[in-house]
Amino acid sequence: MTLTRRLLVCLDVQEGRVVKGVRFQGLRDVGDPVELAMRYEREGADEIVFLDIAATHEARGALLDLARRTAERLFIPLTVGGGIRTVDDIAEALRAGADKVSLNSAAVRRPEVLMEGAKRFGAQCIVASIDAQWDGARYRVFTAGGRNATGLDAIAWAQECVARGAGEILLTSIDQDGRRDGYDLALTRAVADAVEVPVIASGGAGNAAHVCAAITEGGAEGALVAGILHDGVTTVGALKRAMREAAIPVREVAA
Amino acid sequence: MMRLAEQSVKRLTIFDYGAGNLHSLAKALDGPARSVRLERDPRAALDTDVLVLPGVGAFAPAAERLAPARDEMRARIAAGLPTLGICLGMQLLFDESEEGEGRGLGVFAGRVERLRAARTPQIGWNGIEYARDGAGDGAPPPGGLTIAYYANRYVCRPDRADDVVAWSTHESDRFAAVVRRGDCLGVQFHPEKSSAPGIRFLDTYLDSL
Repeated sequence: MTLTRRLLVCLDVQEGRVVKGVRFQGLRDVGDPVELAMRYEREGADEIVFLDIAATHEARGALLDLARRTAERLFIPLTVGGGIRTVDDIAEALRAGADKVSLNSAAVRRPEVLMEGAKRFGAQCIVASIDAQWDGARYRVFTAGGRNATGLDAIAWAQECVARGAGEILLTSIDQDGRRDGYDLALTRAVADAVEVPVIASGGAGNAAHVCAAITEGGAEGALVAGILHDGVTTVGALKRAMREAAIPVREVAA
Repeated sequence: MMRLAEQSVKRLTIFDYGAGNLHSLAKALDGPARSVRLERDPRAALDTDVLVLPGVGAFAPAAERLAPARDEMRARIAAGLPTLGICLGMQLLFDESEEGEGRGLGVFAGRVERLRAARTPQIGWNGIEYARDGAGDGAPPPGGLTIAYYANRYVCRPDRADDVVAWSTHESDRFAAVVRRGDCLGVQFHPEKSSAPGIRFLDTYLDSL
């Protein structure tokens, strides 16, 4: 047996409810995060990710409350992100019931926060979330849900995040997000080859083949899915079955 | 009557060294005839039926928080206080760690070292292989957990192979997944994050005490 590859289910949340953005716009309400998280655990999801798309410091209270309510009933790892800026925010989120925190804009603004968190809580709970977009020549980092161009090179930035303490990279392709025609495999492969920590591919999952490709071709340790599950296009079980059939080691869940 | 009722409740105490998610651990440990509390003072944490050393944080700050009660805690565990160490908590049961300064409890002889693997931390679900010859007191493998969630860059290297109940392998590095001596159990994975089988693993251990 070896370390299995992961299927992560992302719930984009806003004011305590789940939404999923299409190209980060046009949001639709798809349900209660706690119920959904538990349903996905039962179906065999390996991890749950809550991302607060408002990502404001003010919205943090609602996110922490949601983490607290979820952690009481969910017994697989929970990552939360959005609006977490300081090491005290990280402490609060972990204390509320998150196992990992993801930092995006805050890490770009002040990269030291990654090491501060890693020193105190261990690198394994510090996730650097990177939103990248191809500009015709290279992948560039965007923050604030894709609104702000930073000019940073995504691959170099991923390496810097790891050097500064991140234990995992959550890598979202802005180009592919919500399109359902596959992850950005070139981006995923470039980052996975450039860093030693696990890379989670995100943005673009439309079917099981896409999930498998993120791992086999993209070199990701895990694939993040959202809309195709929330909309009932496929199920966690079907995705994991396809992964297993593609000879990807996965965790089996008794039906 | 009151005394009987009180005695029938198993008191579990999670030593809170100020890091990480203890919320779901407390929930996972809770059950009929059990009470779970968090305690920040390491000496006060010893007033318990079961001591739990939780799993999130870094070695150095945790060892520092433990230091004032280290000798007392070590003596109580040696005298049979049931103790469960999870991830970092398991590592604290060993002598010392490559990750940082400070002394562990030294209940198990050995060092904590970095995983010898290209990709670390190890994050995700990994298989558990039970040692064929049993271990420690020859206690049977608790629960029957065969896959569990890990989040670690460091692992324990026990000096004595017979402390090891089960092993896991990350890339080509085989490391101790479960160590046990008497009622002192250390697990490198997170049973509280390993879904229903992980909760059953905890129940099996706690019910065996």
